Amino acid sequence: MGGVIQADNLTKYYGKSRGIEGLNLEVQEGEIFGFLGPNGAGKSTTIRLAMDFIRPTGGSIHVLGLDARRDVCEIHRRTGYLPGELTMYDRLTGEEMLSYLGHLQGGVDWRYVEELAERLDASLSVPFRSLSSGNKHKIGLIQALMRRPELLILDEPTSRLDPLTRQEFHRLLVEVRAEGRTVFLSSHILPEVERVCDRVGIIRQGRLVAVESVSALKARSLRRLELHFAAPVPQDAFAGLAGVRHVTVQDSVVRCEITGSVDAVVKAAAGYEVLDIISHEPDLEEVFLAYYSGENDVAD
Amino acid sequence: MLTSVLLKTVRDLRRPLTWWVIGMVALIAVTVLFYPSISDAPEFDDLAEQMPEALLRAFAGGVADFTSPVGFLNSQLFILMVPLLFLVYALNVGSGAIAGEEEKGTLDLLLANPVKRWRVVAEKFIAMTVGITVLGLALWLGTAVSARAVGMDISVVRVAEASLSATLLGLAFGSIALAVGCAFGKRAMSIWVTAALGIAAYFINAMGPIVAGLEEKLSPFYYYLGSDPLTNGLDLLHVGVLIGMSLVALAAALITFERRDLAI
Repeated sequence: MGGVIQADNLTKYYGKSRGIEGLNLEVQEGEIFGFLGPNGAGKSTTIRLAMDFIRPTGGSIHVLGLDARRDVCEIHRRTGYLPGELTMYDRLTGEEMLSYLGHLQGGVDWRYVEELAERLDASLSVPFRSLSSGNKHKIGLIQALMRRPELLILDEPTSRLDPLTRQEFHRLLVEVRAEGRTVFLSSHILPEVERVCDRVGIIRQGRLVAVESVSALKARSLRRLELHFAAPVPQDAFAGLAGVRHVTVQDSVVRCEITGSVDAVVKAAAGYEVLDIISHEPDLEEVFLAYYSGENDVAD
Repeated sequence: MLTSVLLKTVRDLRRPLTWWVIGMVALIAVTVLFYPSISDAPEFDDLAEQMPEALLRAFAGGVADFTSPVGFLNSQLFILMVPLLFLVYALNVGSGAIAGEEEKGTLDLLLANPVKRWRVVAEKFIAMTVGITVLGLALWLGTAVSARAVGMDISVVRVAEASLSATLLGLAFGSIALAVGCAFGKRAMSIWVTAALGIAAYFINAMGPIVAGLEEKLSPFYYYLGSDPLTNGLDLLHVGVLIGMSLVALAAALITFERRDLAI
């Protein structure tokens, strides 16, 4: 049995509506694997199949070399999980919740819990009904991490985190990887996945459309740049650069789309006085478009 | 208290259960306080005799002597109010056990731990049994103490037996609510299905003896009060039927929950 998470022709229908279709996936030991796709693409479906919360319509899924359904307890013992829709017991405090889950998980090292709480700046003494969703989310991350599991399955782990906590969380993930443990996380935000993952699986409408290393993905990813200059620039100043298209020049403002490296544009801009460079992160549909028509775009 | 699903669930039951106990004991006390004034007035029995039998059966279990201790307790408490309270409490707890967590969204986090689904259902069932038993104890003590306070001549043991019977009836319906919640994951559905079954069961038992073709032995209420535990003590066969109902419903809960997809 190959990967830490191994899905073979995995299919899930909810009645007649599609969850995922013929998904093949292999997450390798010791990597941070990003599962990227827009909402409703089937990310949570795949994750909940791996956790045996739902059962496949067809195909199979193995986790840590074990059958997701038959060996569910063993898998859960060795896996830390963060649900996409995180709900806590309102009346409990973070400390009570973690103590409860710790007992169900078979005991935890409380010093490590406190260390995690400090690093993620989580408040353990406040009941959940008085916590913001971001602070609840931190407790969710702690409960997934606190047993130092072999495998972390995290459904949208950073969507509610503030930037500082997000950075700390990324550092934690890198530490997890350094210890040889595996992370499987889903996200609908490309830069997020690029920042922390080794490999990325792109899922769209229930199908896995590509699995790539992050460097390959970056080479293909599309970026929108807006350059503001001190004075109007010539119409043809940015024409014919490699990987650059849809260039519009309006007086002193230049807009363009770049696939891959921004190097050529930055070098071309260096000839003029630059006031500002604004980079718009592409939304996922644009990434897919760039991906699908990838080869052609680079050529023209 | 936060060391297992069982203890956590019992912990969650404590606060509402406290109010249930206070409310039920208050209701019992107020009812029993009226006993001395009614027992001195035999005209109440005449009143019962004049009532249409259908009405008497529907709401007073066909009891014709309101003025004896057993007749009073049966007609005023054990026939309608007590089973109603136990039914409402039990279906509330039973429907909340799994379907409640599922709808709130905490079930994923709970089941992500190394615990089998059946184990969670079993622990929730035991917690529910604890809750309903506490209510049963309150019924027993509340009735026994109130009866003693007004000098009512009634056996404490018989009151205990009737209270146990009510506990088992509650557990039976609580288990049905648990099973419907486990099978479909919808709390409201579990509540309404169980409530409808309870009301139907009540009227089948009440009207069975006077309506041709209606068999009261089909109703759990028959096994709850049919043998008149306040007078005769428990009928073990009836106790067995009520426990059997709970176990069948529990089995259905365990099996259906094991097999289905969980809602997010």
